[in-house]
Amino acid sequence: MMTFLLYIDPGSSSMIIQMIVAGALGALFFIKNGWYKIKSFFIKSKDSDEDKKTPYS
Amino acid sequence: MSQMEAISSSFRDRSGYVFLHNDIYYRAVNQVYKSDYDHLIKSGLYEFLTQKKFLIPHQEVNHLPLQDTIFTILQPDQIHTISYAYEWSFSMLKDAALCTLYNALYALEFGMILKDANTFNIQFINGLPILIDTLSFEQYNENEEWIAYRQFCENFIAPLVLMKYCNASLNKLLQVYPNGIPLNICISLLPLKARLNVHVYLHLFLQNKVSTKNKNGDSTSKRNFPKEKLLTLLQGLKTFVSSLNLTKDKTTWDNYYDDTILSQFYLTEKKALVKSFLDQVPFQTLLDLGANDGEFSMLYKNTTKQIISLDEDRNCIEKLYQTCKKDGIQNIIPLVCDLTSPSPDIGWHNEERSAMFKRLHPDIVLALALIHHLAIANNLPLEKIISFFHSLSEYLLIEFVPKEDPKVQQLLAHRKDVFDNYDLKHFKICIQSYYEILKESQVADTNRTLFLLKRKG
Repeated sequence: MMTFLLYIDPGSSSMIIQMIVAGALGALFFIKNGWYKIKSFFIKSKDSDEDKKTPYS
Repeated sequence: MSQMEAISSSFRDRSGYVFLHNDIYYRAVNQVYKSDYDHLIKSGLYEFLTQKKFLIPHQEVNHLPLQDTIFTILQPDQIHTISYAYEWSFSMLKDAALCTLYNALYALEFGMILKDANTFNIQFINGLPILIDTLSFEQYNENEEWIAYRQFCENFIAPLVLMKYCNASLNKLLQVYPNGIPLNICISLLPLKARLNVHVYLHLFLQNKVSTKNKNGDSTSKRNFPKEKLLTLLQGLKTFVSSLNLTKDKTTWDNYYDDTILSQFYLTEKKALVKSFLDQVPFQTLLDLGANDGEFSMLYKNTTKQIISLDEDRNCIEKLYQTCKKDGIQNIIPLVCDLTSPSPDIGWHNEERSAMFKRLHPDIVLALALIHHLAIANNLPLEKIISFFHSLSEYLLIEFVPKEDPKVQQLLAHRKDVFDNYDLKHFKICIQSYYEILKESQVADTNRTLFLLKRKG
């Protein structure tokens, strides 16, 4: 199998997998955001400090 | 050899190459990369990334002859210590992965895309990871996928996930697979609970499945990958990498200084003695062998001196990296190294990535409480140990730990004592054929002896 794969452009299946992964991650973010909205409706949450973080903290 | 011949590791990218001239590293930019290079500079991406310290700064130089194929020559900031991902601790690899993703994400804002995502393109400069390959960016074409996605997964995600779920030493696999850990090998090692993580499943398991099924490829299909999906992918990777943390396992050298039977008085006295010896030597680069969590490397923190701290214990190196990051210490680079088997020459023709001790050029080596581990625990004859140190640097600061020391007694507790020549007398005979003794002093209230030595001849 490995020998066969060596003759294929490594990027050829890249588009398909990236479509699936990006789609799944997009759905995940959508659900997560929805959940946060429901949560924040009931509980007043603190402002996110995401932007205040240094890149590697 | 031509004056501008590429160094042995610089042959993959047709955009340009790195060469060494009068002890300075330069990067030649080929004509084929001209349009991308112009975009990198004119779009403001270069300035933005260098200001953020995600990309290495450079100067364009014109004192070197330009061949027809070369567009321009860059002199990047010179890197003091080159290190590789299989010598990093978990957080170092994690931060290197984040650095790669930040470069990719910001590049998109300026109409470019990161075409390479391997670990060798990241180096630690002033305590933080930085992309050193200026030619890694190309102009972004709408509806294009991330060409470096699989490479990023094999180079960063696979080792990080293996370190988290299996064992924190598994980034060493990158030494065997320098171009990235193949996904099928990575997933065969992962436990079931790793598969339950949606990110691990998508980036590793599913990707492996899809690429195996899609053997024939689909090179005829039109490129149709919207930019918003690309951003989702990159943001998703960033969120995942940021969330990765190591489940701490206890290693031999954890809390060495806290648990040690030797007293605090010994440590304070030894620090003062070491400092007084070191202050007499004109050095710029210090190599601390068996550095533990950097207790002695810290003697020169935040000075202009460069300190390279090596230890075989990954937890110690992780702790030292975290301390340096937290306290903003820029002149210490901690690396994992087993002295009995340091990183070898690897890659094409065994010349692509060089052995650890070919990359380090210290002025002085610090070998404190180390010799008994090499001589007793690893059966190395004293002559071989001294000869090794002699090959490394002009000066050596070494502590001799005699057989009657409690730590050596611990090592000998469960084995036969076959080390007849392991004593101070024989040690001094050995060092005198390689070094002249500049200083010699007993350490605090122990029978250990500290020597400051200068290479002969």
